[in-house]
Amino acid sequence: MMPVSSRPQDSADRIYFTLVALIGGALMIYFALVPVFGLNVAFHFYLMLWITMASAFNVSSGFSGYLPFGYVAFYGIGAFTTAILVKKAAFPVFLALPFSGVAGLVLALLFAPTLRLSGIYFGIVSLALAGICRLVITNMPEEITGGSFGLQLGSRAHPVQSFYVMMAVMVVALATILWLSRSRLGKALRATRDDADAAEMMGINVPRVRLYGWMIAAFFPAVCGGVEAWYTNVVDTETAFNTLITAKTVIYAVAGGLGTVTGPIIGAVAMVWLDELIWRQFPLLNLLILGVATVALVLFLPRGIVGSILRRKPQWRRYVP
Amino acid sequence: MSIAIETRGLTKRFGGLVALDGVDLQAAAGETLGIIGVNGAGKTTLMNCICGLYRPDGGDVFISGERVTGQPPHVVAHKGIGRTFQVPRVFRKMSLIDNLLVPVLDHRASDAELTERAEGMLARMQLIDLRHNYAEELSGGQQKLLEMARMLMPDPPIVMLDEPFAGVHPVLCKFMIERIEEMSGAGKAVLLISHDLTSIYRLSTRVVALNQGKVIAEGGVDDIRGNPAVIEAYLGT
Repeated sequence: MMPVSSRPQDSADRIYFTLVALIGGALMIYFALVPVFGLNVAFHFYLMLWITMASAFNVSSGFSGYLPFGYVAFYGIGAFTTAILVKKAAFPVFLALPFSGVAGLVLALLFAPTLRLSGIYFGIVSLALAGICRLVITNMPEEITGGSFGLQLGSRAHPVQSFYVMMAVMVVALATILWLSRSRLGKALRATRDDADAAEMMGINVPRVRLYGWMIAAFFPAVCGGVEAWYTNVVDTETAFNTLITAKTVIYAVAGGLGTVTGPIIGAVAMVWLDELIWRQFPLLNLLILGVATVALVLFLPRGIVGSILRRKPQWRRYVP
Repeated sequence: MSIAIETRGLTKRFGGLVALDGVDLQAAAGETLGIIGVNGAGKTTLMNCICGLYRPDGGDVFISGERVTGQPPHVVAHKGIGRTFQVPRVFRKMSLIDNLLVPVLDHRASDAELTERAEGMLARMQLIDLRHNYAEELSGGQQKLLEMARMLMPDPPIVMLDEPFAGVHPVLCKFMIERIEEMSGAGKAVLLISHDLTSIYRLSTRVVALNQGKVIAEGGVDDIRGNPAVIEAYLGT
């Protein structure tokens, strides 16, 4: 057998990391220059937000096999945590944002018993729990959550700063998921996704592994909610717990291909760009055309863009994160 | 020889159905214990109770003298027990290499060392050329080999094989028999479930016959072959 240092796997690893560094670096430079060159900051802010949301959702769905229809709960709780801390407790935004992530983690722990469920049952319970979160916040005293008017963050809005913070959140999220995809935890999660009983009989502590994956999947949307609250300067339950947020996250992740790191990124880029294009050209038929495009994508590429390519070229799996 | 695995009065019920009824058995290191019985005799239930997937309603399981009854499967696995399944349960959307790494994820060896070991194991099972394919892309027989390789990765002292020859081509069957002989030759305790009595008689040191959850016969191959209770259970005469 060849010595460890000269195995073909090492050259595959070199190509993998070179690709990650080149593509990741190019994307970072592009996003960093958006405000500098006066490009559309709002479009790119939401592009980064959806890349982060779809990628984090991929940890839950693509890596762990859970389809949380109530994924928006983490986003909403993060948005309200930042808004309440900034508006009511006079926290600086930069200090409030980590608490949004913590709120997401706490909510993930509260939801953790539902991880005993699987498939559609988990999805439905998750949707119900998101509805409960929304109801609880809606019915909290108006002095805390702002009631039906929501909370306005006043003079704290700073589009460019929040743009770069969103970029930092996206970079941390993608780095975490890239690490996860190659880590032992990632392998344990995927084994659990494919066959939990078999994985447990191979020595994997399935409940613990699932909890870790669930918490990673909960942290980033909560922070995204906080940053978006800062960016838009206003938070209310209608928008922060809107089920369309879950729907878009799922569609973008599935369009790119669950279970890969690049899938949700490419899915989000393709669909957000398509959404923008259709909206500009056909403002009245925007949702209809987007719906047809989504159906066509699922019909013709059921494994998503990246998933379908890797299905045809399995030898590329070693190089494509 | 030291007793590697032992059950005492193992009982398992599913509602009113008694799947296991006070099963006593033991296997020593280096021994291959064949477990035979018609469909529904309780063979797979026995394995599931031993490895912790089912919690027994009575009796005990001991691994190397340590009681493991009622422990979760991942804890039992770490006591040194590996298994395969009647219908292959590979991790379908993972590469063959990653499939083999799953049972050793908590080992201290580096990833490079474990990958090298996995590649060696795949080469032994003649699957090395497919190492980057997903497990779902393998044939049924190849999935059986993959399961066997995965089971052997942590080098467990006890292995349980559930119908390894079911639906397998005779050439592959011969290859698997050689691998099983290597396992017992290496000092592992092998629990082998099979409907293929020829293979069982060839490989087993001792045989246990189950019928309706009870041990109806136990002994050497020749004792079991001519045992009237076994003949009646199998042939109904």
